[in-house]
Amino acid sequence: MSSPDYDAPKRERWYESKRFRRFRRNPLAVAGVLILLFFAGMALLAPALTADRLPRGCMRDLGLGRSEARTALRNPAHPAFWRATFAPPGSCYKIPRVSYSPVPKPPSKKYPLGIASGGYDIYYGIVWGARTSFYIGVLVVGIVLVIATVVGGLAGLFGGWLDNLLMRLVDVVYSIPGLVLAMVFASIFGRGLIKTMIAIALVAWPIYARMLRGNILQVKAQDYISAAHAVGVGNLRLFFKHILPNAIGPMIILASLDIGAIVITASTLAFLGLGADVGYADWGQMISFARSWISNPGGEPLKYWFVWFWPSMAIALFVLGWNLLGDAVRDALDPRS
Amino acid sequence: MFNYITRRLLQIPVVLFVLSLIIMGLMQLLSPEQRAAAFVTSDKQIENLDLIIEKYHLREGFVVQYKLWAGEVLRGNLGFSRISKEPVLTTIRKRFPASMELALAAFVPIVLVGVWLGTQAATHRDSLLDQLLRVVAIVGWSLPTFVVAIWLVAWIYGGLGWFGIGRLPSSLLIELAGGDFKKYTGLFTIDGLLNGRLDITLEALKRLVLPAAALVIVVSAGIMRVMRSSMLDELGKDYVRTARAKGLAEKTVVYKHARRNALIPVITMAGPMLGRMIGGIVVIELIFNFPGLGEWAAKAALQLDVTTLLAFVMLIGLIMAVANLLVDIAYVVVDPRIRYE
Repeated sequence: MSSPDYDAPKRERWYESKRFRRFRRNPLAVAGVLILLFFAGMALLAPALTADRLPRGCMRDLGLGRSEARTALRNPAHPAFWRATFAPPGSCYKIPRVSYSPVPKPPSKKYPLGIASGGYDIYYGIVWGARTSFYIGVLVVGIVLVIATVVGGLAGLFGGWLDNLLMRLVDVVYSIPGLVLAMVFASIFGRGLIKTMIAIALVAWPIYARMLRGNILQVKAQDYISAAHAVGVGNLRLFFKHILPNAIGPMIILASLDIGAIVITASTLAFLGLGADVGYADWGQMISFARSWISNPGGEPLKYWFVWFWPSMAIALFVLGWNLLGDAVRDALDPRS
Repeated sequence: MFNYITRRLLQIPVVLFVLSLIIMGLMQLLSPEQRAAAFVTSDKQIENLDLIIEKYHLREGFVVQYKLWAGEVLRGNLGFSRISKEPVLTTIRKRFPASMELALAAFVPIVLVGVWLGTQAATHRDSLLDQLLRVVAIVGWSLPTFVVAIWLVAWIYGGLGWFGIGRLPSSLLIELAGGDFKKYTGLFTIDGLLNGRLDITLEALKRLVLPAAALVIVVSAGIMRVMRSSMLDELGKDYVRTARAKGLAEKTVVYKHARRNALIPVITMAGPMLGRMIGGIVVIELIFNFPGLGEWAAKAALQLDVTTLLAFVMLIGLIMAVANLLVDIAYVVVDPRIRYE
């Protein structure tokens, strides 16, 4: 009756590890996680939270009437609930317009956060904007990781002139402030969410490519790589099976934690008017709606505070959540700093 | 050292060349009509886009087009800016002082605030003050520049009615345009003093406070964090213990001995910080209605004024390269142990 479990050392669960405990005891880390959970909940439940005010196009694409939408989207037993939560049609990201009046209207019972210039419902924009922000962050990080893996991988694998060439390219892109270059790229690509995301990714990859290349060189020098080489493992297999999996981890973690910085760039571009199409639920664009109502409009300072206050708070808190989390993870991984 | 500087200087044109290749390459995604605007030198020519497309072979391949553009640039013709409706170089000459003035006004407080707070955090390690400053740094780091700028405009300028936006009140600007006010530097604060017009200097200073404050909030957090960790490093070293052991006052140990050494890693941060500042200036100039290069470029990006954007990126590339070189030189001056081969 001897089970192998007796001899094997007890495997430490991740939540018992020293790193995780260090992370959990850090109040800033907990604050960051709570902020992000709040936004994640808002993003996920966006259809339920805004069931009574969905734009017409969105309801048509979901195949629901107005009164039907109110109950169906808050009822997990209804198929429309799941469709709207996990695969909402693009038309749901359009902020519904209450009117076409250029003058904002203060918060009321029906529109709890007020109505922005152009009749845009601020509450709707904030809730669906959370979705847009996660979407931008995750997708841009994805594109960045692909570019960085290809460039850093090629440079680290082949070395020589290719390495030299690619790293000089990294230097050049890195030498221009990210926002300036992203602005130029976004201008050339034109308006649209996907185009903006590509523009941001094209600017954000160099630091990760450099990091991956460094890690690959480090792994390549390890004994087990020489050992694998000695037993006759082919070059491609060596790279994809032994080198890359051991080198890519830190890059993925650090790039994912950079979502805060990516959302800053994205919202700045949207504010400048280089982001998603007009009317798309995007916090940066909502602040640009507020442009002419910020400084002392009509001699009544702060009368239209709600047009810029809510979206700016949403952006600031969202980025803060990511940065708190990122800082804590970096601390937990490297206690010396 | 001399060889090192020469080599770095020779690299600058290469960087600019690659940058222009990247942007011109991406421009191939545009239609010939859109690209033709890059060669327009006056408003009237915009009507004859077809002729321009013919003349500059815009329907041809990338290599031909790049050679043509580079030839014009090497001859000193950076093109015509549709946004400012004048040659690009004229606009740069006009608007550069405004951005320069803003950058200078923000630079000193950024460094002072960052270094001071970083020192305070390090000397009060793990105390309430340190924790508080840590939160302040993360919050400052997390705020997008345009959000800070809008908060300042709304609360301080709009709400309290303090300071001001723009570079000068329009009444003074009209007076300057007609009067015998000599522009020595283009910086209104300094020109005001040189012309003996203290009112202009004061008005210009008043209007620099808010945009500079926005930059300080956004940029100094980074300096503070580097300063804190490098100060902690230095305070743990043997020479600090020796200094304390021989009975020096704590103030002397911290400010005279440790801080001077702790400043060296902060100098390395100057490059990234300048980059962050330039990105911030673009947005801040737009929000504060400050007629500098950043505002010009932001407007150009909105209307796809490729000529302006290309020139702007080249200029920023040049500034960053020179700044990074100066940082490397400053490094040697501050720490004689460092040698470049």
